[in-house]
Formats: sequence, structure tokens, C-alpha cells
Amino acid sequence: MSWRAKDISLAWRFMIWFVVVALLPLASFGYLSLRQNEEALRGETLGRMSRLADKKTLQIKTYLDERSQNVQLLARSRLADESMAELSRAYARHRAGSAEYRRAAKLFDKDFAAYIGEGGDTQFYDVFLITPQGEIILTHKHEADFATNLVDGPYRDTQLAQVFRESLMTMDSRISDFEHYAPSNSPAAFVSAPIIREGKLLGVVAMQLDTQHIYRVAMDSSGLGATGETPLGKLTGAGEAVFVAPLRRDPQAALQRRIDLNTTAVPMRHALAGERGSGVEIDYSGRQVVAAWRYLPELRWGMVVKMDADEAFAPIRRQRENLLKILLALTMLGGFAAFYFGRQMVMRLRNFAQSADEIAGGSLNKRVDEYGRDELGALARAFNRMAKNLQVLYRTLEDRVEERTRELNTANEQLQKEMHERERIDGLIRQENNFRKEMVDSLPGIFYMLDSSGQFLMWNRNLESVLHCGAEEIVHSHALDFFEGGDIGLVRAKIHEAFEIGDACTEAVLRAKNGAKIPYYFSGRRIERNGEQVLVGLGIDITERKRAEDALRVAAATFETHEAILITDANANIIRVNRAFTEITGYLPEEVLGKNPSILSSGRQDKAFYAAMWQQLLNSGTWTGEIWDRRKSGQIYPKWLTITAIRGEQGPTTGYVAIFSDITARKQAEEEIRNLAFYDALTKLPNRRLLLDRFHLALSVSARSRNYGAVLFLDMDKFKTLNDTMGHDYGDLMLIEVARRIQPCVREVDTVARLGGDEFVVLIEEVGMNAEEVSQKVAPIAEKIRAALALPYLLREHEYHSSPSIGVCLYYGNKEPVEVLLKRADLAMYQAKDAGRNAVRFFDPAMQHAVETHAALEADLRRALPNRELQLYYQIQVDNEHRPLGAEALARWKHPLRGMVSPVQFIPVAEESSLILDIGNWVLDTACRQLALWGKREETRGLELAVNVSAQQFRRHDFVETIAAAIRAHEVNPASLKLELTESVVLSDVADVVAKMHALKVLGVKLSLDDFGTGYSSLSYLKQLPLDQIKIDQSFVRDIATDPNDAIMVRTIIDLAQNFRLNVIAEGVETASQLGFLKQNGCMAYQGYLFGKPVAIEEFEMLLGKLQGIEPGKSS
Amino acid sequence: MQNLPGGKSRLLLAISVAAALLVGALLYGQYGRAQASIKIGVLHSLSGTMASSETPLVDAVRLAVEEINQSGGANSRHVEMIVADCRSDAGYCAQQAEKLIAQDGVQALFGCWTSSCRNAVKTVVEKHRHLLFYPLQYEGLEQSHDIVYTGAAPNQQIIPMALWALRHKGKRFYLIGSDYVFPRTANLIAKDVLLAQGGQLLGERYVPLGENGLATAVREIAALSPDFVLNTLNGDSNLHFFRALREAGIIAEKTPVFSTSITEVGLAAMGADLAAGHYAAWNYFQSVDGDENRAFVARFRQRFGRERVLDNPMAASYTGVKMWADAVRSQGSTDLVLLKTVLAQQTLLAPQGIVAVDYETRHLWQKVFIGKARTDGQFEIVWQSAQPVRPAPFPIYRSRAEWLDILQELAGAKQ
Repeated sequence: MSWRAKDISLAWRFMIWFVVVALLPLASFGYLSLRQNEEALRGETLGRMSRLADKKTLQIKTYLDERSQNVQLLARSRLADESMAELSRAYARHRAGSAEYRRAAKLFDKDFAAYIGEGGDTQFYDVFLITPQGEIILTHKHEADFATNLVDGPYRDTQLAQVFRESLMTMDSRISDFEHYAPSNSPAAFVSAPIIREGKLLGVVAMQLDTQHIYRVAMDSSGLGATGETPLGKLTGAGEAVFVAPLRRDPQAALQRRIDLNTTAVPMRHALAGERGSGVEIDYSGRQVVAAWRYLPELRWGMVVKMDADEAFAPIRRQRENLLKILLALTMLGGFAAFYFGRQMVMRLRNFAQSADEIAGGSLNKRVDEYGRDELGALARAFNRMAKNLQVLYRTLEDRVEERTRELNTANEQLQKEMHERERIDGLIRQENNFRKEMVDSLPGIFYMLDSSGQFLMWNRNLESVLHCGAEEIVHSHALDFFEGGDIGLVRAKIHEAFEIGDACTEAVLRAKNGAKIPYYFSGRRIERNGEQVLVGLGIDITERKRAEDALRVAAATFETHEAILITDANANIIRVNRAFTEITGYLPEEVLGKNPSILSSGRQDKAFYAAMWQQLLNSGTWTGEIWDRRKSGQIYPKWLTITAIRGEQGPTTGYVAIFSDITARKQAEEEIRNLAFYDALTKLPNRRLLLDRFHLALSVSARSRNYGAVLFLDMDKFKTLNDTMGHDYGDLMLIEVARRIQPCVREVDTVARLGGDEFVVLIEEVGMNAEEVSQKVAPIAEKIRAALALPYLLREHEYHSSPSIGVCLYYGNKEPVEVLLKRADLAMYQAKDAGRNAVRFFDPAMQHAVETHAALEADLRRALPNRELQLYYQIQVDNEHRPLGAEALARWKHPLRGMVSPVQFIPVAEESSLILDIGNWVLDTACRQLALWGKREETRGLELAVNVSAQQFRRHDFVETIAAAIRAHEVNPASLKLELTESVVLSDVADVVAKMHALKVLGVKLSLDDFGTGYSSLSYLKQLPLDQIKIDQSFVRDIATDPNDAIMVRTIIDLAQNFRLNVIAEGVETASQLGFLKQNGCMAYQGYLFGKPVAIEEFEMLLGKLQGIEPGKSS
Repeated sequence: MQNLPGGKSRLLLAISVAAALLVGALLYGQYGRAQASIKIGVLHSLSGTMASSETPLVDAVRLAVEEINQSGGANSRHVEMIVADCRSDAGYCAQQAEKLIAQDGVQALFGCWTSSCRNAVKTVVEKHRHLLFYPLQYEGLEQSHDIVYTGAAPNQQIIPMALWALRHKGKRFYLIGSDYVFPRTANLIAKDVLLAQGGQLLGERYVPLGENGLATAVREIAALSPDFVLNTLNGDSNLHFFRALREAGIIAEKTPVFSTSITEVGLAAMGADLAAGHYAAWNYFQSVDGDENRAFVARFRQRFGRERVLDNPMAASYTGVKMWADAVRSQGSTDLVLLKTVLAQQTLLAPQGIVAVDYETRHLWQKVFIGKARTDGQFEIVWQSAQPVRPAPFPIYRSRAEWLDILQELAGAKQ
């Protein structure tokens, strides 16, 4: 017999179809998604290697760059100048061993030691001064190289000689490779720079580096897992290279272990060929690795950052196994399901077949179930219709047969009537006997008649059937034969009692002949029969009653469960509650009995809710649901409630049973689960999903509002170390603390999220409309976070130090996708790490530059005063006759590297910090000192010096005292000191300003209002101020001759000043025509380039001398 | 009922066709979508006085682009070059740059020759925060986040050349140059380093760009007989200068001329024997030894003709494009900001050897070669730096502020 599809059971066929149709696509889908995950992991790992490689190359670059800067600074220092001059003289005259040379060298010893650095701060190993002819005339360590010649001496082939030659050839700073250096007997590199003074080459300064720092970068394997490492190599010949730093797997590799580039070490081969890239390749030890390779131009080295592919791709392997398991499980589950459904259908079909069979066999009233509207349902209905028709047909046939039978019977009856009449008499007698017997038999229960010995005399049929005995057996039995145990005595006693007293009754268990035991209630009465005392009695089966009593006992026990039960009557008055009820609600039974359950309600559900509940209760007799109720304590809690109506046998409701349990805990668990989806379980911060959500939203808000926002990406430095050394518990504690510290640093509306691991993101929305201004605003926030996170952490009484690296990226509008912005902030964070960690970096170089410039300027400015980089310049002020009246003192900053820094640049920076106070005090002090000097000479005694006062300075409560102290200290005539206040100063706190100005007047100091007319001072206010002078701002003076508006303005100011009897001075006078106009309109004093630029004191005094020779009116 | 088997097989057929279509559509969506090409802009003068110098650079860019496309393009996208003619006019060139960026949507610009052209285009590029690769050696004293300088900074050409001459030819030197910012700055730097090491300046002369009356200068040279001449002339003036030297009987053995702007292409144009025996310094000569360079020369000649020669600006153009493509490939996107962060650390095995972008200055680390012109139009390399030289657009012996002041003064002096 051939094996065809139609021979297989339907259920099996379903299963096979399911596997083919459903699981094959599922398997292919799984395979595809696995492939994609693998791609993604590969990409991600390669990206990580690349980022680490970039970071490490930058670390080395930065290190070398800084060293090169150090050497350049040294080359430009006076130390280089002087030591080169002194020592080359001493060296040339007396040679190196002489006492003269040693004396000269000793002078500079300490200064050079400072450049090398000391203790943990050692930056260099040694320092060299080399003449243009190649003589080494100074070293710090005095090794064998000292006093040799680099052009023809023993060390002419060293890296030192190489950088010396190259520095001469390029007049530039040079860095050599690390090579074994014989005099130090260790690997060393050299940095050199030419010393040039007044256009002449004096020599070359070189410094020696050791390998410490580079080794540290090479050995840092953070982020590289268990198998990662960072080999550094350099070419030694064609196809061969050597490691230049220790390996994680081979600490002795540096400059020892060779690499064969032809066969293995593919990444290193790429790196040394100058390529920059990443990929999965075979490394020097023959392993397959995920690697990124870089070329370091500074040292001509190749760098590889790599980790074993086995480790990197482990997650994918796990995923593959999981997928297989899931597929297998699905196949089995799906197969069973298909088989089961198939079987159900088949069962019905079988049922049909069986029913058809039965009908065929004659049971015409056989029907099948008709449920379902499907094809099987239709088949069932058709089948039933067919069966019914068959039955109808059959009945008609039967009816006809019956009719014939009835006709035959009528004839028969006629015949038999006579026979009946004869028999009737016999019957009547028999009937009487039977009647008696029937009567006894029809008694309920069992009937018995015993003689005084307990033998059965008479009984009914029930007795026989109960005892399972025939009449024969009963005749020969004693009543007590049908009891056992204690019942025998009891029954005997009772029989005796009945005979004695006349009647008795008892309960006892009857034991039937077949072993059944049935509880019975017996009653007996003594009567006289045929002159003999007999006992007649009845027994009633009380099995049912016994069972009811048991049930009652069980019910009472069940009532006391852990679920609260409340029972009411039909009018919903509480009639019973259990212990659990008291535990949950807090109400004692006596407090609630007779009351309506509504005393429990919390009011959280409205009337409609209860109406619907009652409706359902009335309709279906039961209601189940969740409901909020109130405990006796007032606490509201959720409960799961089931109410069932109790119906009597006839139907009307006799009461209700309510069963409920407290589901507060379950509710909390549900809440927890909801939170998990959007919040990080550990820190309770929004997770990545919620962050992305909010970020998307923030971008659209930004697009609408045209405001910039910022995203901060931060992670904790050395977090991995903490986790590895102290365990994950401590890591978790720290993360919680980090989350707690970030939040107070930002506004409520900003989002602080944890991406996972130690990565946090802060989203600061709606900061401002201008990128530059926004970055200046965000920088302090980031700084605040950085500072907060850099404080020590107290983790279970262990103090732990860590710090964050923060990358900042601004966003504007929704053009750039969230992923790109996050990536940028991430990149910026890596830059922060590269910058030495515990730092904030902006992604946008321009923003970073702006923030850094600002910070650098402030830092430099902080040093400017102690380094005496600030100078006071003097700009002359003259009267109408061009006689000098005095000068305005102006701060100038000569930065050693930047050159002259404009006050426009540095004054605002100073004003933002408190530096302006120090600068202000210094200006005041210097000006007073100068005034004191002038006071000593006849020709300069009358000069006034104007000093600018900043708002911060003026607002100090001790400002007046400061001025008084300065005047006293230098013994200056107070009238020669003039304080210039700007409108911004005098416009703040009116009462305070007026009081201070009056106090200053009392001192005798003069007061001048600077840049008058540019602000919004009101005339009435101006009137209150005890001013001596008003200064016309240069912006008005500039266009005085060309702009009629400015001309009117100036004229008005002069009029005003005259009305208030104030002196007036114009600043920024540059041309004769401006001077002419001012003079014509009554101005009396002038300041500007026409008379002199701000200059240093020497030059100013020369100018004074010259002016004394000039006749009035001639200079214009 | 009779047609059930037929209906069943038709249904099966329909299902398999639908499934095939679905799979096809999915695969098409995944791999088959045609990717738009990446556009780059090339800004060189194809007409006017600079045309003969700049046209070969377009060929070098074209070779690089074709090679990139043959090896699968950048991020699987075809690279398309749009060439704009700058007409030897800096202002016009800036307009073209604006158009390429704003209208054509190019992802990077490659081009410019003169400093004035670079300055004009720089303004446009910085305004858009775009990206320019500049292939020429120049006077330095500049750096920009948006420009990658693939030509030499002063310390990679003029300084080593001047000092080599000082060591090997003698101390007495004479300067001649065209009258614009590059020669003046270059000579200023040359004077700095030569005087610092005992050099002796005999004379210094500048002639307007394109001027052919060099008789005065040549007479002066003949009279002073310097140990060497440092020549920063540019363009056609060189032809007239060397011709005048020849006519005045000045020979290379006695008075060698060290030029900053004489290339193999220039030699071919003016006749190789005119400058034979004189010197030039570059970061690339066609005669540079090495497999990479031999292959490069062969590829270029196969594409553009056996008679063609190569020089440093061409190699630098080629290197720029290759470097850009490498960065795009490793970044996986053309996002300019991300691309620039990658470019700042890019390295490449180029025809002239390994080159690397300097993180600080965006100039290239590269080797320096000094060559002596041969009669066959090639250079014989007489000196080369042991290693790639770090670019220093601002030579270190003055502060940056001082350099910028000097630059301003030079610009003022010229006006």
C-alpha cells in the first residue's frame, strides 16, 4: 500500500503544514536579524577601537607637543640667553673641568633643575646646551656626553646629534625617536630648539625624555576587555619591525621583541605603512583580533589598539545559541498547538461518524451537538435534520401498527369480561390480604415486628432491600445481628426499654448483609398481638441529615480563610464577617454587623460604577472586579472583590457573599514594572528610551522657539577600576550618588538620564538664541556638575575619589538627528578624557575655543598682577590754552606671549570675576604713588590724575575707606585725585551712591562722570550727585564735525554742565576741527590723540616737558 | 468540484509568486537602492595667466577620483567632481566656491594656487564652515579649521633650502622675488634664518608679477657675484630671469639659483637646459625613489599620456583627494564636522612617502627634498630630511602675534 498524504491523520497534517509555513520564515528572519546584530556589534567594536586609538595617539601627540613647547619656552627664556653666553665663554676659555667653568655652571644649576622638574613632576631626564659648532657645554646629569662634540665626537650618530643637526637646518623645534642612548644606558628621545637672540643663532637647547609616559599610554588597557592591548612598533628594516613599548602579554617586549611583518601582524603592517584604519585581522601572535591601527608621525611609529575577536564577538555567539533554543522551543510548541487543534476537529468528525453509526443501528433519537457556525456546525445541523426526518417517518409507521392492534383488543375484551366477573369474588379476598401487606410495605423506611426475644415476626420490603436479605434469612435472624460494636448493646438496651416502658427510640448504624452501613433512627412501641407482647417499630434513614451536619462543620471552617468574607442579607445588611475581614479593613465584627457595606467605600468610584455593579449582580448573580475602599484608619487601598448572590431553592435572593483580598502589593508591583520601562532601576533616572523621547521633543521645541539647547555626555573616570576592585555593589552605590549629585546642578525641567554603565546624559533645553552666549551659559553648568562629581565619594565608609569627563554639544532646531548629536557629545567627552580627564569639552571647536580663550585670558590675567605684567599708561588732559591739567590713568597689559592685550578684551573678563577689585586697587595705588612723586616737584605739583572706578569696586562697602587709606599712605593732596565714575556705577543704588559720593567729597577727592550721555541718567538724579566734572564721551566727539545730531548733543551737554556749574571735559579729541567746535561751544578741557596717546610714565613726562615750550594756540 | 486540483495548483502558484515578489522587494530595499553620488568641487584656473600652472592639477584630482570610484567609491557612493574655472581671478574664484557649496552641494573643495585666491576662498569656506584642500607650498602664517594644507609650510621648503645653500655654497646671498605677499614673506623668513647663522645679504629685489624686465636685477647679480641666489619669482618671470642669466653669462656652477617655484612641469614648459644645474626644494619630486611613487607615475602616465610629467602641486592635489576619501570611508558619513575631526588625525601612504595631518595646524607632516635640475627636466635629489618634518606655519622663533603684525605690515607695504 502506497503511503499518501490522505492516509495521514488530519492532526499530523496540520502539524507538518505549520512547521513548513510558519517556522521556515521565522527561521530565516531570525538568521537575518542575527546577521544584522553581528554587523552592528562588529561596527561598534571597530568604532570603539578607533576611538581608543585616536585617544591614545592624541595622548602621545599632546605629551610630545607639551614637551616641545617646554623646550621652546626654555629656548626663548632669559635663562637660555644668559647661560649660553656665560657658559660658552667659560667653556671656551677654561674648558669643562676648570673651577671657573664650575662656578659659572653652578649659577644656573637651580634654574635648569626647575625646568627638568622634581619628584613626581619630573618632565625631563636631562637638559643640554649645545653651541652652533656642536659642543655640549652644559648638561644637568653630567653623563659621558658632557663636553663632547656632536659633529665629530663619539656621540655624533645618536638621536641627540640628529635633533641638533635638524634644529640647525630647519631653525625649528625637533623631536627624535626613542632609541637606546649609551650615556644614559636607557631608551631616550630628545627635543631640541634653536636659541635665537636679536636675529643671531646662539646655540641649541635640547632636553632628554624617558619612556615613562609613553609606556603608561601603551599599558593603559582600559576599555580593552581582558585580552586587549596596545602594541607600539617601529620599522627596523624591510618587512621587520620591533616593539617599542611593553606589551600586556609580554612586559619585556620593548626594543627586544621583533615583529615579522610579512607573515603575521597585519594591523601593525598597516600602521607602519602610514595607514589609518580598522578591521578584523591576524595579529603578531597569530590570533584573530579586532583592531584599529594608527601611524604616529612624531615618532614614525605604528600603533595598534586591539582585542581578541573571541572576546569581542562573545555576545553574538550567545545570541546565536539563544536563537537556536527559541526556534526549537517554538517548533515544539507550535507543532503541539497545531496537532491539538487538528485533533479537536477530528474528534467532532469522529463523533458525527459514531452518531451516524448509532442511528443506523436503530437509536433514532440520537443527535449530535450543533454548536458553531463553521462548516462542522452546518454539517451537524444537516445531520440532525436528517435524523429527525428519519424519526418522523418511523413514528408514522408505528402509529398505524398501533391502530390495528387496538381494534383487535376491543374484540378480545368483550370475550374476557365474563371470565373477569367470576374471578372478581376471589380477587376481593386476595385484595384484602394484599392491602394489608401493601400498607406495611408502603410505610416509609423500614418496618419490623419483633417478639420479646428479638426475633423478626413481620417486616416490610424495605427491610429486605436495605439489609440485602431474603425473607428466609430474616426469619432466622435476630435483630441484633444487624448491628456492630457499641450499637449492639445500645439496641439491646432500647429493645428492653420498649418492652418495659412501652416505647423507645434511638439512632444506630445498620449493617447490611453486603457490608453497607447506614445510619438509622429507630422507634418502637410495645403492642399486644394474639395475646403476646410484641414490639412494632419503624426505622428512618438519616444519612442525609448526617451529611448536612458534616457540611455545616466544613463550611464553618472554610469561612475563616485569608480572604475577607462578608455576608449580607437580601437587604444588604451585614450579617457576618470573618477574621480576615477585620485584618484587612480594621473593623471588628461588632462594628459592622447590621450595617450596609457602603461604610467601607472610599468614594473613588462614582454612582454609575455602583449602579453598573448592582445591575450585573441582579442579572447574573455575581460580580467580580477591582475596587478602591477605605480602611478604618482612613487609608485607601485597592482590593479584588467577588460578590455572589445567594439564592434560595425557589429563586429569590436571600443574601450576598462578598469575598475580597487586598491587592495593594500587587498594584505596587505593577507600578514598578511600568517604571522599569522608562526609568533606570538603579538610579531612578530616565533611561535611554525616555531620554531619546524627550530629546526628540526638545529638538522640535528648539525648532519652534529658535532657542539653542545643549546635551552633556558624561562618564566617570576610573569607574571600571572601582567596579573591579571593590565589586559591583560599590559601583552601584556610586552611580546612585552620581545621579543624586547631578540633579541639583540643573533646572527642574532639564533631563538627567542614565544611558547605562557609568554613562549619563544631561539635556539642557531652551538656553538662548545665540550660540556663543549659550556656550558661555552652559560652560558654568557643566563646570558645576564636574565640580560636584569630583568631590570624594563616601561609599559605606570607604572614601573614594573619582571625577567625570564631560562632553558638551549644542543643538539648534531639529535638522540634526538625535543620534548624531549624542555621538558628538560622546566625541567631545573623549576629548575631555584626552585632555587629562576631570574636564569639560565642547564638541564645536569654535565654542571650545571661545570658552577656552575666555578661561585662558582669565587665568593669565590672574597671574598678570603678581608677574607685574600690568602697566599704568597716562593720557594727557589739557585746558583751553593747551596747558597740561593732568592725565587719565589707564591700565595696560603686556602679556609675555600675546603682546599688548587691549583693555576692551581684558577689562570685561576682569569684571566678570573679582579680579577687577585687585586691578582697581593696583591702579589706585600706582596712581597715588605717581601723584606723590609729582607732588614733590614744582612743575608737576598742580597735575590731577583721573582714575577709573568700576561698578564692583564702587559697590564695596569699604570703598571710601580704601580711597582714604590710599591718600593717607602716599600722602597725596586729595584734590589732585579724580575718580571717574561711569553711568552704570551711579545708576545702581541711589541712596548708597549719593552717600558714598558725599563722603568722598568730604575727603576732598574730585568726582567726574565718565562717558556722559550714553546711558539714561535723568537730570533730576544728576542734580543730586556732588559731581565736579562731566566727561563728554568720545562717541559724540568723533562725529561732531559731520553729524548734526552729535553736535547738538555735545552743545546740550556743555550747556547743562554750565547750568549745574560743573566742569566739562571732552575725550577722544583727534582733529583740530573737533577742537575748534568744542572750544567755540564753551568746552574747557580736552583729552585725545591730538594732544597725546596713553603712554608709559617716562614718555608722559617727556611730553610734559615738551608742552611747556609750546605757546597756547600754536599746536592746532 | 472537478476543478479543485487545478484551483489548488493555481493558488499555490499565486502564493509562491507573491512570496518571491515580497522577498525581491525586501532585498531591493536593503541593497538595491541607487545611492546618490557624493560631489566634490575643484577650483582651478583653466583660463588666464594661471591656466598653464593649474590645469595639470585638475588631472591629478581626476586620477584620484577615478581610482576612488574604481575601488568602490566612498561609502559605496560614486564620487563626482565638478570643475569650476577660476579664470585666474581670486574674486571670481570665491564666487565659484560659494556656488559650489550653496547650489551644487559639494562635500569638499580642492583647489587654488595663489595666496590671494586662497584668501578669497578661505572667507567663503569659513563662512559655511566647509572644507578646502589647498595643494600649494605657501608663505605660512595662517591656519584654519576648515582648510587642510597639503603643500609645504615655510619650514618644509624655504628654510631648509636656504640653510642648505648656506652650508654648501657660501654665506653671501642675493634675494629676488615677485612683488606680492608670498615672496616677501618667504624672503623675510629666509633672511631671518640666514642672518641668524652668519649669512650676508648682498641685495634684495622685487619685480611685479608677470614682469619681464629683469635686466637690472641680473646686472646686479653679475656685479655682486653672490655665493647663491634665492629665487621666489613666480609665473612667466622665471623664464625671463633664467634667460637673462644665461645671456649675462652667469652659470650654475658659479652662482647657483635656489628657486621655490620651479617644478618639473615648469622646466618642461621653459626648456629644461635653461635651468639645469640650479636647485629647487619640494616635498615631492617625480624622481623620488619608492614603489608607491613609481606606481603613481605609471598610473598617471597611462591615464594622461606617456609624455606627461608630475610635480609637487600635482602630487599634493592627488594626496588631498585620497586623504579626503579615506576620512569619508573611515567616518562612514559625510557630516562635515565629524569628518574634520577625523581628518585632523589622518595619515596616508602617499607618493612622496607617509604623510600625516598635523592635529594642531592642519598642515601635513612630510619629507623635504632639495633637488638639482638635470638637462632631462628631472631633479637629482641632493639632500632629503631624515624624517617627515612637522609643519610650522608660524616659525617658532617669533610669537604668533608678532608674525601677524609683520604680515599686516607686509600687506600694508605692498599697498
